[in-house]
Amino acid sequence: MNQKIAITGLGCLSGAGMNLAESLESMFRNQRYPHPPVRFNTDHPVSYPVLELRDEFKLPLDDQERVYARTSQLALAAALEALAAAGWDEASLRGKRVGVCVGTTVGCALNCDDFYRAYKDGDDPELDAIERFLRSNPAAVIARQLKLDGPTQTVVNACSSGTDAIGIGAGWLRAGACDIVIAGGADELSRVTYAGFSSLMITDTEPCKPFDVKRKGLNLGEGAGMMILETDAARGEKKACGYVVGYGSACDAYHLTAPHPEGKGLKQAMNEAFTTAGVSPQQIAFVNAHGTGTPDNDKVETRVLSEVLPGVPFVSTKGYTGHTLGAAGGIEAVFTVACMQRGELPANIGFDEADPELSGTPVAQNSKIDAQFALSESLAFGGNNAVLIFGKGDE
Amino acid sequence: MRLAIQGIGVSGGFGCGVAALRTALQTGSVEPQQACVERGDKVDNFPLYRAEIAGLQDFFAKRALRRIDHFSKMTLLGACLALQDADLLEADRSRTGVVIATGYGALKTTFDFLDSYLDFGYSCSSPTHFSNSVHNAAAAHVSMQLKATAPSLTVTQFEMSVPSALLTAQQWLAEGRVDQVLFGCVDEHCEVLRYSRKQFFADGESGPLQPFNFAQQSAVPGEGAAFFVLTRADEKAAYACIDSVTLGNHLACPVKLAQDDLLIAGADGHKECGRWYAQALKGREASAYAPLYGSFPAAAGFDLAVAALSLSDRTLYVSPGQDGEKTALTDESLSCLKFGPGGDYGLIRLSV
Repeated sequence: MNQKIAITGLGCLSGAGMNLAESLESMFRNQRYPHPPVRFNTDHPVSYPVLELRDEFKLPLDDQERVYARTSQLALAAALEALAAAGWDEASLRGKRVGVCVGTTVGCALNCDDFYRAYKDGDDPELDAIERFLRSNPAAVIARQLKLDGPTQTVVNACSSGTDAIGIGAGWLRAGACDIVIAGGADELSRVTYAGFSSLMITDTEPCKPFDVKRKGLNLGEGAGMMILETDAARGEKKACGYVVGYGSACDAYHLTAPHPEGKGLKQAMNEAFTTAGVSPQQIAFVNAHGTGTPDNDKVETRVLSEVLPGVPFVSTKGYTGHTLGAAGGIEAVFTVACMQRGELPANIGFDEADPELSGTPVAQNSKIDAQFALSESLAFGGNNAVLIFGKGDE
Repeated sequence: MRLAIQGIGVSGGFGCGVAALRTALQTGSVEPQQACVERGDKVDNFPLYRAEIAGLQDFFAKRALRRIDHFSKMTLLGACLALQDADLLEADRSRTGVVIATGYGALKTTFDFLDSYLDFGYSCSSPTHFSNSVHNAAAAHVSMQLKATAPSLTVTQFEMSVPSALLTAQQWLAEGRVDQVLFGCVDEHCEVLRYSRKQFFADGESGPLQPFNFAQQSAVPGEGAAFFVLTRADEKAAYACIDSVTLGNHLACPVKLAQDDLLIAGADGHKECGRWYAQALKGREASAYAPLYGSFPAAAGFDLAVAALSLSDRTLYVSPGQDGEKTALTDESLSCLKFGPGGDYGLIRLSV
């Protein structure tokens, strides 16, 4: 059993809200805001709804730093919110060993299609887009902006990146690699992923409906979710808002984009998380499911949940945020801890009618919970599966 | 926790396999190939350390490799060579973790995907190119082709990718999550990268690569894959052991170099990174082998392979382009130091 790691601060922004409080408020009002993309255009004949941030966000950056890519700015905004909640600022972190572990997909891809279009046309485009890419590794940006000294890692495990980043960051603290870790995930909406997911025919033309019989696919979203993890020595008397108690991951080794039909890797990841947490499945009060709303994902996920955690309530929050890819695991981890603190789960928005082919139904209404332990899980391209188990914070 | 290096698989500008890398170290020079990019009426010839992947067909049927791109093929070849070197090609891999470090990922497939919609419209975007352009696609191909069902991780941190990913490989073994880690360092070259580097550095990359000329841009681009089979050091190492992996920022807190350690500097002709080596080394002697494989973020994996080979051969090979003879290695440890342009550093210490 692993030593539990204290979570001392949470931060997140997404299509559900510009910070954690706003996100929770809209989720518990059961409101969501999908619409056609505003930040980019395509000539795609079908318009798929997305969940973009509803406002501009401001960061304390100078002119030179404003060239960071949007993903890194999202990561930094969520990190600053989480640090403030944990009572840290740049000055008080000086002299500490602070690690940064961030999951992303878009944030590390050279997706500069305007630049590339000009290059293909035989022009000699300026390198602004390339320079922005080279400056914008999300973990490096947070470390650079806060002048941190410690390990940095950007995890690119597709849609499980954020979950993996938190599990890895907690491991750094247990191994003594640093005193504090800023961990989570961040991703921006992009024309490239919009085109990519539509080519895979797994996006819904309407607001997504995770676990519903009429589900047709996902809605893309953007955002970031970060948490501050600390050793007991670093946090002193500071109360924890939750604990990372278990982490597991495994690869299906089955298909590049489809999950294993029996959820082999997901079960393996869950079992590892239970073992490292020293927690039995019966102790899990709820699950923040991956729940993308694609036919395959929801089928596999409910199958595994019904086998491993029968009767345990589960909810997908992607109806509120969209699928934020590398950010999803970070955002959903933050929501999981926040819901444990609040003692309440939001309704799985988009779910209306049970699918007889699925082995379970999600939480359909806002529900009171008293959770000592909760689980958040992510499934990803490449057959990756990652699972985190959280413990309740200090009273 | 110490890690033992049980197998090495390399493919780069020097050739393919440990023997090719050893030959390159012994001869002290590798000539880059001449590459050419034609765009409209512009013809651009430049030196490039290109990786050879023909040997992959010794491990997989051609059919199994269709729809797998060059980046993933380099990755698969490196992985198979390392397993073969460790005599583990036929072993069960249900407790073998896969950790891949890459600076840029599958660049060519990323642009192939953009081609699909820029040329034919968004409704014709290629799902195959999209799913293979995702950074962890190569790790997924390794897991699928080699039936490795334990945890899989891809890390991208530009120049720090290798030490950062190695930190997690070390952690997985220390926590007992896996019994072995297939640890790979991979980057590929593509013509857009050449265009960008030429715009940034003009003729600064026409060679020869001079790692210790810190004041001048002399990087020559390269590509390749360096793989390692890592276990806990309670098993005897086939090559050497990794004692520690340290990451930090030299500006925030200067790197601490052990007084007696021999050093392999990851200096690769990038002026922006060179200044940090100048500051940290302060005139201290070090070796550098980038002229054998070129400049790319994951080349830090080749530095690690050279360190392991040097300790195993008990020989300190002469840095390419430097005078002198190879010398018997009397010290039992070596450290690999890699700097990024912002002063980020990774320090990997190895010993026999």
